[in-house]
Amino acid sequence: MIPAKKLLNTLTEHWGVLALLFKQFNMADFSLKELQNAIKQKQPTWNNERIYKETNRLLNQDIIIPLAKSSQLEINRAIAEFASFLLQEEHLGLAQEISVLVQDLARLGDRLNNAGEMQDYDDLRRFSRIMDDRVRKIIKLFKHNENAILNIVEQAKSDHAIQSLQKRYQSVIEAFDEYIEPMLEMVDIRGDFHHCFITIEAQISQQIADIEQSGKAYNDKRMLEQLRTRILEMHLMGRESLRKSADMLMPLREELRRNNQITRQAAKVLGMIRKNGVDSILSPVQPHFISDAQRYSIGQQRHIVAYMASLVEFEHSEYKLPEQQDVPAYVSPNIPDYTNVKTRFKARLAKQGKKQQPLLQFLDESYPDLEADEMLFLYQKLISDNELPMSQSDNKSQIKIADTRVSLYPFSSQSN
Amino acid sequence: MTQINLNELAQLQDINKKLVAGYHICEQDMTLWQELDQHLDAYSALFTALGHQLNKDSRGFYYFNSNESTPNMGKISRAIALTIYILIEHFANTGKDPMRAIFDEVNDLELMQTIVQLNKHLFDQLEIFSGSDLRKDVYLRMVRLGLAREVATGFMLQAPIYRYIDALMEVNEETYMAEDA
Repeated sequence: MIPAKKLLNTLTEHWGVLALLFKQFNMADFSLKELQNAIKQKQPTWNNERIYKETNRLLNQDIIIPLAKSSQLEINRAIAEFASFLLQEEHLGLAQEISVLVQDLARLGDRLNNAGEMQDYDDLRRFSRIMDDRVRKIIKLFKHNENAILNIVEQAKSDHAIQSLQKRYQSVIEAFDEYIEPMLEMVDIRGDFHHCFITIEAQISQQIADIEQSGKAYNDKRMLEQLRTRILEMHLMGRESLRKSADMLMPLREELRRNNQITRQAAKVLGMIRKNGVDSILSPVQPHFISDAQRYSIGQQRHIVAYMASLVEFEHSEYKLPEQQDVPAYVSPNIPDYTNVKTRFKARLAKQGKKQQPLLQFLDESYPDLEADEMLFLYQKLISDNELPMSQSDNKSQIKIADTRVSLYPFSSQSN
Repeated sequence: MTQINLNELAQLQDINKKLVAGYHICEQDMTLWQELDQHLDAYSALFTALGHQLNKDSRGFYYFNSNESTPNMGKISRAIALTIYILIEHFANTGKDPMRAIFDEVNDLELMQTIVQLNKHLFDQLEIFSGSDLRKDVYLRMVRLGLAREVATGFMLQAPIYRYIDALMEVNEETYMAEDA
């Protein structure tokens, strides 16, 4: 027999090593070398001799025990359970574990009832104690499983995206199928548990009533009352714990379901697009974006085509010609018709006979109303007319026409 | 009647400029997001009066609702949709959790090239022939619409992508048949 205190001291001293082994091997076996490495990792300053000594100490105190017919080692189950409780590294148990305990509880309830009827108070006490123990165990399992589910949820949430969907959610689905659903079924108001607890509660209440009536074994009454309270509390606690677990798992299961749905839908839609084209499949559902910038600008060739197409329907506003009376009347230069001038000049020539006629003088006398430039216009017309014989003077002279002095080599009608 | 104090809406100009261009303001746009979050009622009323409908999506983004797109925006939107659906399928095929990977993974040029190669006949319909086409025609536009942000090695998709995932779930034989008829 190893004194408990000594054992606890060793545990305290080597807690780091045990936690490491627990995490690393997760209840599986390991070799002596691996144990020594774990010690070395936690206590890097220790020399080999010290490590050897400490290894022996763990083995001698049955904290680490050898597997049967093997050189492999494992952590003592009792210690491992204690450690798993402390580290909260709990693994989800099965719903059956709890249901077996509940069935046992029902069986014990019957026997307690029998003992009460036989007035065997020793047996009554004994069964009451065993039942109490079972109830504690069930409560422990509920708590344990709740923690385990919390671990599962945390793991599923924190896993890297690289991991496949199936892998990530495998434990979630298992937890649901193996634990939550069967448990919820049992805890249900019409389920086995409820029925069982009602019976047990009735039995215990009956015993309490009997004790009160008979007045015998009055000390046991308190014990039975406590048991009854504990069973009720366990029932409540179980329901609470299951509800909490289901609440934690449900979103993850929902997420998985939704993810599967999205993936399936994506594959289906892509298949439809392959066959029928992007536009016909996606146009009815695509999200729309506001884009004022694009709405009011022409960016691409397509827009220009659309713009031109809209031009076909273009109607321009009618162009209105100005009314006749709005336009100022055209004032022509005040020049007499050239042919008239020419005939008049010819007539003058005929009249004056052979005498030389200075051209400008003729114009000045015949058309005193004309401006100087108008007169010069007629002058150059006349001198370039081949029909009229003209000669140019060799002397430059100054002539005054219409209040303007011009200096030129004047043309005159040719004297012949 | 909502009282709108324009002096309080410090980021109005920026917010309006982004939203009318089709941009989605999401939690990554810290200043604008906080501003909208704080004065949601005022902004909402103001934009409604201006003829826009400011939508807040509980998955973390604001945008202007619109019932139709210009032809060009429609085409861009379909290209984005196709890219996202192909990404979902791609991540699922490679054994990743698609809804996580789509937001957690950096979309780099290598990924773009891979998905264009694997889905050539789909991208051909959109005249996207290479990874760099995809980057230019889809990813850069997603950045402009606030659907993605550029990081050192590529692009990260953001919450407004959910609009496309909603649209994905809406596609079924009936909508397509109705369109066909």
